[in-house]
Amino acid sequence: MKKISRRSFLKVAGAAAATMGLAACGGSQSTTAASGGAAAGSELSGELVFTIWDNNLMEYIDSNDMVGKFQEKYPDAEIEVEKIKDDSEYWNAMKMRASANQLPDVMFNKPFTLSRFKDYLLDLSDTEAAKNNTLAAGYAVDGKILGVPMTAGYEYVYYWKDMFEEAGVEVPTTWGDFQAAATKLQDHFGASDPDFMAIALGAKDEWPDYPFMEFMPALVNGNGQNWNDMAKVDAPFAEGTDINIAYHRIYDLFTSGVFGKDPLGLGNDQATTLFAQKKAAIIALGDWGLQNIENGAESIDQLGAFYLPVRESKSEPFRYIVQGDSFMGVTTHSKNPELARAFIEWFYSEDWYPGYIAYISSASSMSNFPKDKDPVLAEADAAQSDGEMVMYDGGGDDFTAIQNEIAFDYKKLGAQMFTDGFDLDATLADLDTKWAAARAKLGIQ
Amino acid sequence: MNTLAKQRRVFILVSLVIPVLLLVGFVVFPAVDLFRMSFTNWDGLSTTSEFIGLDNYISMLHNPDLWQSLGNNAVYFFAHLLMIPVELAFAVLLNSKLRGAKFYKTMVFMPYIINGVAISYAFSYFFSPINGAFDSILEALRLGMLSQNWLSDPKIVNFVLAFVSLWRYSGYHVVLFLAALQSVSKDIQEAAIIDGANTWQMFRYIQIPSIMLMVDFVLFDNIRGALQVFDIPFVMTSGGPGYASSTFTLYTIKTAFTFSNFGLASTMAVAIMVLIIVIYVIQNKIIHGVILKEDK
Repeated sequence: MKKISRRSFLKVAGAAAATMGLAACGGSQSTTAASGGAAAGSELSGELVFTIWDNNLMEYIDSNDMVGKFQEKYPDAEIEVEKIKDDSEYWNAMKMRASANQLPDVMFNKPFTLSRFKDYLLDLSDTEAAKNNTLAAGYAVDGKILGVPMTAGYEYVYYWKDMFEEAGVEVPTTWGDFQAAATKLQDHFGASDPDFMAIALGAKDEWPDYPFMEFMPALVNGNGQNWNDMAKVDAPFAEGTDINIAYHRIYDLFTSGVFGKDPLGLGNDQATTLFAQKKAAIIALGDWGLQNIENGAESIDQLGAFYLPVRESKSEPFRYIVQGDSFMGVTTHSKNPELARAFIEWFYSEDWYPGYIAYISSASSMSNFPKDKDPVLAEADAAQSDGEMVMYDGGGDDFTAIQNEIAFDYKKLGAQMFTDGFDLDATLADLDTKWAAARAKLGIQ
Repeated sequence: MNTLAKQRRVFILVSLVIPVLLLVGFVVFPAVDLFRMSFTNWDGLSTTSEFIGLDNYISMLHNPDLWQSLGNNAVYFFAHLLMIPVELAFAVLLNSKLRGAKFYKTMVFMPYIINGVAISYAFSYFFSPINGAFDSILEALRLGMLSQNWLSDPKIVNFVLAFVSLWRYSGYHVVLFLAALQSVSKDIQEAAIIDGANTWQMFRYIQIPSIMLMVDFVLFDNIRGALQVFDIPFVMTSGGPGYASSTFTLYTIKTAFTFSNFGLASTMAVAIMVLIIVIYVIQNKIIHGVILKEDK
């Protein structure tokens, strides 16, 4: 007999962190299942803790009885699915658990956390899941596949076709076109509505500027390893470098008035809602953003998508970002690593993965289970059929060490560009100075 | 020692075992470990860390963003400090035979019992530049020209956040003062009235000295709260734009969890403990020695 119980608890820690150590706050809910069932299967047995942050995944797990289906193959296995509030909280929790030898058996990573947790993850190179994954090998650390990406993540610029048409704007294919389109939209609609934003951006939350601040340096010359290459030089922000070019373009856009009267006063939820209500014509979000827009819009008949055009002229190749997302890995703290590996194999098998990938808006990362894109997202591919994919790397050990040493926060830097008196050249020069000093201090060559 | 005294001693010792163990386990040991970590470069993930002497302390003192954050804490501190006389006046008013005093007491205390994160979210929308209630109120009063970028102008953002903090915590202080005022001996007050004391003299020479312990507590709570403020700026502005509304605690947590520098963050945590004690001692000397002219 299968038994499912739910429990929820709230962990709260607040400002006491300053005096009593460093705490974090978060929420979690979990689904547990005891062993049972009569189906035949493997001799593997034991308990697994599977920790996630994704709301869509949690909903799908609950509504499709993931635990029960897994137990049809592994009747002596127990799985506890633990849900953390969001990915920021997830990393805080995982850091604390890593230091306490309490990591879950199966955890997720992002491209930028793989190198941080590399000492806590087992090599999955010989699994069928990794072999069938189109992106896993590209993110191998020291030759080992430490996580199998659950989805292929693409970044889009969503727009309202009817608003483009009314303002007489075409879908842009160069950075100059993009700036001109935004300006034209702002002039057209802003004349009658002072609250209008050509581009919606919840810069108050800082992270929503990532399509610009995080990915554009890699797109300028199609170098997905840009962060890692920056770690090899003393002055990566100097004039002529990819990041210098990208950030000057972003600065020009951010200070051109196309983000409305107060982009720093709005968070991402507000910005997305306003876009869904056509109080803005453009918003840059990942594929995951489509569901949020759909939830807030009366109709998405007029919704379109294109890839952010970063190239200066049409003679350059059109590049767009792709990255592996949600890298599922087995931790070294697992007491049942073989069962955990079996769980990953099962998760990416026809027993589970095809249904899940059809349920979400993100793209498949598995070659054996391809998926057609949502019609809105497919428009971006149709518009740039000869586009060049850039596989994004979130930055390895050296980059992360320097970043931490000098507290380089590119998302915060993007938000700062909106403030009066911000001096980009002085800021980049200062970053170069700090960067060189950090490399010397850390002994990075 | 007779049997009763022995039993008494045994009872006291047994009763103290669990509290002392809890105190050592959850306060003393973490505090000592925090102090130890402040001399290391632990990144929060590695199983090992290196002893780096005073590097973290030197780095902390040379961090302009941290100083800016500390400066922002000062806005909360002085805003709450200036409000304490007002809170005291409210408490005196509510302690008198005021019509509907119970209702006012409930209303004043209500913000304190509402979840801080919920309050911060609510005020985020209240001060929103688009469809924000505050701007709408100004418009309705034909004061639209006073409208500002409340949450994104570095010149005013800390005052807006401090206002939210006042809205939330002032009621708590009023209730504390009220509880203290209600405990002042009626006999002494009646004797003062018979001796001809007026309302001000009653307040200054009878009520204030009688509730001084509570005033001291509120003053200390103000320092602790102002230096550790976290939830309001975290939710409403994420400390931005830049570090314009960051606070010491916000910066400490960012140092630990975003930049994986738990050693430096521990140093900041030690520093905030020391700061709280130092400011309390100075404030105590000023209030008791200079303003109230007490001989302690």
